[in-house]
Amino acid sequence: MNFGYIRQHWETVFVYFILFALIVLVGATNHLFLSSRNIQMVLLAAVALGLASFGQTFAILSEGIDLSVGSVISLTTCLTAGLINGRDQMVIPVVALVIGLALLIGFANGFLIVKTGVSPLIVTLGMMSIVQGAALIYAIGPIGEISPAYYFLAWGKVGPFSFPVLLFGIVTVILIYVLKRTTFGRYVYALGGNEEVARLSGIHTGRIRIYVYMLCSLMAALSGLFLTSRMGMGEPVVGEHFMFESIVPVLVGGTSFLGGVGGIVGTLAGVLILTVLQNAVNLFGISTYWLWIVEGGIIVSAAAFYLKEKI
Amino acid sequence: MGETILEMKEISKAFPGVQALDRVNLDCQRGEVHALAGENGAGKSTLVKILAGAYRPDEGEINLQGQETTFHSPKDAQMAGVTIIYQEFNLIPDLNVAENIFLGREPRNRFGIVDVKTLYRRSKEVLAELGSDMDLFRKVKTLSVAQQQTVEIAKALALDADIIIMDEPSSVVSGKELEGLFRIILSLRDSGKAIIYISHRIDEIFQIADRVTVLKDGQLVDTVKTEDVDKQGLISMMVGRTFAETFPPREQGEKREILRLEGVCRGRKLRDISLGVRSGEILGIAGLGGSGRTELARAIFGADRIEKGTIHFDGEKVKNLTPRTAIARGVGFVTEDRKQEGIIHNQSVKFNLTLAIIDKIQRWTLIQNQKEKAICDKSVAQFNIATPTLEQEVQYLSGGNQQKVILAKWVNANPKLVIMDEPTRGIDVGAKAEIYNLMRRLVKQGTGIIMISSELPEVIGMSDRIVVMHDGEIAGELSPSEATEEGILALAAGVVRQNGEGVDS
Repeated sequence: MNFGYIRQHWETVFVYFILFALIVLVGATNHLFLSSRNIQMVLLAAVALGLASFGQTFAILSEGIDLSVGSVISLTTCLTAGLINGRDQMVIPVVALVIGLALLIGFANGFLIVKTGVSPLIVTLGMMSIVQGAALIYAIGPIGEISPAYYFLAWGKVGPFSFPVLLFGIVTVILIYVLKRTTFGRYVYALGGNEEVARLSGIHTGRIRIYVYMLCSLMAALSGLFLTSRMGMGEPVVGEHFMFESIVPVLVGGTSFLGGVGGIVGTLAGVLILTVLQNAVNLFGISTYWLWIVEGGIIVSAAAFYLKEKI
Repeated sequence: MGETILEMKEISKAFPGVQALDRVNLDCQRGEVHALAGENGAGKSTLVKILAGAYRPDEGEINLQGQETTFHSPKDAQMAGVTIIYQEFNLIPDLNVAENIFLGREPRNRFGIVDVKTLYRRSKEVLAELGSDMDLFRKVKTLSVAQQQTVEIAKALALDADIIIMDEPSSVVSGKELEGLFRIILSLRDSGKAIIYISHRIDEIFQIADRVTVLKDGQLVDTVKTEDVDKQGLISMMVGRTFAETFPPREQGEKREILRLEGVCRGRKLRDISLGVRSGEILGIAGLGGSGRTELARAIFGADRIEKGTIHFDGEKVKNLTPRTAIARGVGFVTEDRKQEGIIHNQSVKFNLTLAIIDKIQRWTLIQNQKEKAICDKSVAQFNIATPTLEQEVQYLSGGNQQKVILAKWVNANPKLVIMDEPTRGIDVGAKAEIYNLMRRLVKQGTGIIMISSELPEVIGMSDRIVVMHDGEIAGELSPSEATEEGILALAAGVVRQNGEGVDS
């Protein structure tokens, strides 16, 4: 890393510095924090949140937002556990079905936003209610049971490494690559930076926007698939707080509500900061709800900050 | 004419990069209609915005009824009796006529509740003064534009304004409605108000104004009585001295028709436009702001849909044109508004340079870094773009360099036709010259250029043919050898039409 990189990406460097300081601070004050068992727990929590937040990063980069990710996660866990119901041979068809459904939900989000011009906030808020309703109709409480093979997704090991953490690492690298190196990534930044310029440059802005919401839903479904394996069953409200929590790391990581600025690298730091905080709060025996208050403050101040910048 | 009610003395105002006003004087008397004329960018709007309290002058003083005054806000100006009516009205569509007239100043009874009776009685009186018996209970959104304009004027009267400024009121109404507006203006004048009337249209100025003040490049040319001057005289005042600018000599490229428009219409802004553009030529399009020039450019590029007519590229009729298909056919569009439509300001020079050709430098959707960098390095060298690195965010470049990035972006797409809307607006002289040279080079290579410009010397100096637009129509076509600034302005202002009264040549 040369000095020019640091200067250009000082915000990202700063976020990672905060993460590092936080780890040192919590590690120094609580001896359990750096135990391998606890690290494992933090990382597993980071996987669930990270997948959802990465999807959300794309939505926010394109100057949008997706409030339906939480309910997509909930619906995914219910359908996966409910339909597999202990049978190994059902894993592949069910996973395919769930992913297809998520892509359809994402398509519907994007299509409605593009064709009606209604703000993403409203469209995905409506979708959130629709999908949550569907989940609760399918299962009013915990449902189903995963199969033995499906356990591997959350608890498997490849050599000394946790399988989901490894998988998460691969997904992270792919998404960084997609954003930085592919035409799709360029288009997402262009869309968020200035949609009219993008359109006048010959970019299919509507199509790209639809892809963004499909990707966002897909990432939520992946998070749901992972959570199902971790919990061993489906749970119709497990994703509830993800709607909110998927946004916080994106903002903490330096992606702007105005779109066009930021990326996955920053979001990853945001995800780790948030999961370390959640873990620390647990270790110190403080109510998690304090964290909710902090997160709420972060979102409102980030929004206010970016708005000010725009003016 | 009565006492002097307003004196603006030695008013100066600078914005970053431009001296919008340079020691301008304006005075106004009770019972006069005072027109403010000048080309785009002459400083008319800035001057009245200062008077209306929207801007603070850098220098100079404003005397109102003989007293020196400083307006800190539009509200201040209103309280002092100065009201401005902008082209975009300030009305709440879902409130009714009376509620709009007294918006924010509703008469109240002693309990602080809106006194509805007085509200409607006073509204009726004010409208009666304007000779209107409009239904007070109608929602403003159901009114015609002319009626909304009347409501705006009623608002000004309800404020007891002594000075009413109208910013190009005739740009939204025409024909009979305009006559109605003139009647209202004259009756206001006769009741002792001062009216400052901004207009591009020479005819109107003679029809309604008692005196006219002409601005040019932020400076006062003169204030004269309309009876002491004729149309041609006024036009020469508006054109004024010309800058001694030199333009590179014309280049001749291969000529073959690459674009033809037949009877293109879109709303009021494009009416039955037919024209052709050949390869290797610069077609200059002149016209005043709002004459439909930008709309024409957007229609050719597919940015806006046309309602009627046909567009042919290389002799082939194209339907459902979009920017994407226009680009595929070899069209580039350098927009007038750099910041909103030209660049993605918080992205790098590289990002902006290749935005329109990313499709062509990818393999399996992966952007080919080497290729991209080579293209960008070439652009920076060829266009002499001053930037520390390709990664520099384009917002930190100067206006001229930003414009060069945009030009290079389109040249990278190997266009057959480039539309340039005000290509040299707001950039310094050096960058201007470079852009002129680039245009010549493109033409030599056989590219066709449509250049829209408000700067008449530029239009005459650069174009191979000049089309002048007025009110959404083509008012005439001139060759650069026969074109004069006066001739173009006469067509642009609607004083003459080429096939009607003929043009001086």
